Amino acid sequence: MRVLLREISKRFGAVQAVADLSLTVESGEFFTLLGPSGCGKTTLLRMVAGFAAPDRGEILFDDRPMTAVPPHRRDTGMVFQNYALFPQLSVFDNVAYGLRARRIPSAEIRERVLGILRMVQLDHLTDRSPGQLSGGQQQRVALARALVIRPQVLLMDEPLSNLDAKLRVSMREEIRRIQKSLGIITLYVTHDQQEAMAVSDRIGILSGGRLQQVGRPSQIYFAPQNRFVAEFMGSCNLLEVAVVAYDGARQLVQGELAGSRIWLRAAERPEAASLTLLLRPEWIELATQPPADGENWFPGRVCSATFLGSVVTYQVEAFGGRRLTVEVQDPRDHELREEGGPIALHFDAGRPVVVHP
Amino acid sequence: MIPPALRRALSVWNLILVAAFVILGLLVLYPMFSILAASFLDPETSAFSLGSYQRIFSRPFYLRCLTNSLFVSGLATLCSLAIGIPFGFLTTRIYLPGAAILRTLSTLPLILPTFIGAEAWLLLLGRNGLLTRLGREIGISLPSIYGWPGVVLVFTLQFFPFVFLMVSAAINSIDSSLEEAARNLGAGPWRTFRTVTLAVVTPAIVSGGLIVFYMSIENFGVPTIIGEGYKVLAEQAYSEFVSEMGGNPSMAGALSMVLVGITLLVTVAQKAWVERKSYAMSALRPPAIRRLAAAPTVGAWLFCAGVVFLALFPFLLVMVAAVTKTRGPVMYYGQFSLENLLNAFRLAPRPIFNSFFLSTAATLLGVLFGLAVSYLVVRRRGAVAYVLDVAMMLPLVIAGTVLGIALAVTYNKGRIVLTGTWMILVLAYFIRKVPFSIKTTASLLQQIDASIEEASINLGVPPVRSFLKVVVPVMLPGILAGAIIMWVTTLAELSSTIVLYYGPWTTMTVQIFQYIGSGDFGPASAYGAILIVSVLVPLFILNWALGKDLTTAL
Repeated sequence: MRVLLREISKRFGAVQAVADLSLTVESGEFFTLLGPSGCGKTTLLRMVAGFAAPDRGEILFDDRPMTAVPPHRRDTGMVFQNYALFPQLSVFDNVAYGLRARRIPSAEIRERVLGILRMVQLDHLTDRSPGQLSGGQQQRVALARALVIRPQVLLMDEPLSNLDAKLRVSMREEIRRIQKSLGIITLYVTHDQQEAMAVSDRIGILSGGRLQQVGRPSQIYFAPQNRFVAEFMGSCNLLEVAVVAYDGARQLVQGELAGSRIWLRAAERPEAASLTLLLRPEWIELATQPPADGENWFPGRVCSATFLGSVVTYQVEAFGGRRLTVEVQDPRDHELREEGGPIALHFDAGRPVVVHP
Repeated sequence: MIPPALRRALSVWNLILVAAFVILGLLVLYPMFSILAASFLDPETSAFSLGSYQRIFSRPFYLRCLTNSLFVSGLATLCSLAIGIPFGFLTTRIYLPGAAILRTLSTLPLILPTFIGAEAWLLLLGRNGLLTRLGREIGISLPSIYGWPGVVLVFTLQFFPFVFLMVSAAINSIDSSLEEAARNLGAGPWRTFRTVTLAVVTPAIVSGGLIVFYMSIENFGVPTIIGEGYKVLAEQAYSEFVSEMGGNPSMAGALSMVLVGITLLVTVAQKAWVERKSYAMSALRPPAIRRLAAAPTVGAWLFCAGVVFLALFPFLLVMVAAVTKTRGPVMYYGQFSLENLLNAFRLAPRPIFNSFFLSTAATLLGVLFGLAVSYLVVRRRGAVAYVLDVAMMLPLVIAGTVLGIALAVTYNKGRIVLTGTWMILVLAYFIRKVPFSIKTTASLLQQIDASIEEASINLGVPPVRSFLKVVVPVMLPGILAGAIIMWVTTLAELSSTIVLYYGPWTTMTVQIFQYIGSGDFGPASAYGAILIVSVLVPLFILNWALGKDLTTAL
């Protein structure tokens, strides 16, 4: 089973919600659509479920075109953002709902419902009504209800956004565990990049109705293809560096920014006259004094220091007034720098990533 | 193989949309257009003529109908405000023993038939009234209840709860921090009340007042029963229409149009005012209930209890009159007799059956139609649904008498003849009450998240069945409450019935109206009592079984 989206477009009035988007999600894969609100991710998910029709393009499950199939015949299991549990039905009846619609014998319904409720650890609450459940429990019921019909695709629309931070972390691990044990193809929508990285096999970053980049979480974090992806995936520093020279023997580019010389590792001479470099905050080191013969050391000034427990975050001014964010990991033995004081920054020539604008 | 575009166009919801417009066209737009057209035709020559309108605005008799209508409605509005505003403030903000019961009781007049209220005041203060005779015996001549004073009295006592309900809802929507902020900024208690509380409540007051005005000006029964020679528009339109059947359709039409003009103006004014001036608030912490000293508390309590007593006592009197020995207009209080009730049940049970049958049929239609239309309006948003939403409120601005005349004129000849059948009564009730049904159902539906339906569809249940399986059950208590309110208000309907009924389909309301007209207060009270009980019992059931009261559906 694969899900294919082929050149999908959808407008709402003047807003282009999805523009000419193609995507293939492979069998058993956990695929996340990640993007800011209004980027078209929910629209895309609803088109797969059949609640919205694309203006152009095709949706296929394997070779079967789905675009003309009404939502109740698509055999997708959807978990809604607000869970959408039927308030008048008990937990058991909520989960059994889709099986009854499929006219499955009641003995089998009982067995399957109890089985899936055991999997989400709710088999002791079968007679409760949804109103008597906590947020996390409601979330599990919604998941069980979507899974019990053994859908071809599992669709999840920001399922964790109504839970508190701690529960979000434990639920996402549980979702991941269940998805892997069932091997069900899953399309997941979220705006939380950490959540996306935690659960996904692959992530598709959406903005303005277009896929900006598709890849494994680490690919997207370490090698963002463009500025949007770089900025969306965690905090980042972007520097515009002019290319001055290329040293083929050492495979180093010599760049220049605000009078400072910057060395960059590169297999060949870049074609562009200037490069946009991504530096994640944790890739930059700080020191009181640069070593005498050190390369890629730059003078700066501390603007602010924020202690967060696992890290200390600095705002540093360098390269002629540019602001950079720098993180110091595990700061137990780290002495907090004074605000306004001088400081030296360093990064390895292999660390910066060239980003397309 | 049907192409998908056509299949989508033929979907159930689109068919309902078309059906809704057709029903609206047949039951409201076309009939109203018919009497509008009739009003511009000379009754003899059938040529275009402004004669009827000229007569209304030049002949003193017609002009007086117009001014009378405006006068009693205006005065009733002022009186309702004078009672409803303090009643609202006192029962909401001040600690009064039994305030909850007072509030519940005070809403009953909204549902009890106004013309029975009028009859009751005749039983008390009419020519042979209880108090009139008592007064005569001890040598006091009481002021006459006939004419405008009686009309205004009955309107005020029956309609003031509209003001009270709006005011108390508005007060409860004020978060207490608002008043605290005013006090914190240095305003004294009176200044705070004037600049914050009253200012926020004003739109509700205006809105409540306009509703009272509208209810008064469209009322047919009260001025006819207690006004005697005091003619108003709703009554005169009916007289012009029935004088020898088809008396003067042009004049009846023109009077109807003037009445519709006024009610339309009032409704538009209310909408415009409320939309411009109302403040969307939801109180996290409603204002605290204040305890006053003993003397003011007793005073406030006496005022509120007195108003409730005055409003409900007449109906109690009708219940008593129903089991009192009578001869014509003379009541022998103290001598009990079941004669009138037994006559009603045994000899003439038909009107009781008719009323129940017609109300039930209209309610069933109204609930189903209301459900379908409110679904379209709430879930299938869009330009067409919006137009439907506004259009379905049209029947609200048409007085019952006017709608009755319009339907009777339109469907007494031609391809569809309905005048003189029971169906036209059901249709008239249905279209008059369906706006309420749509409103209550729509507000219920708005509280239910659309994703519940989508979840059901996603799990494999087709759309319409999903709606019936997961949405309707959740709405059911609300729908049931709305249906009961619709049923009891239809049961008490007089103004369109009086125009549209015929012999075998006489209803309880018509029967009561005729007995009052002929001075037979005994039989009138017997049917009146049956009607009152039929209205109150479902309401009490509603209150107990569903924990809802009238206010949820009005």
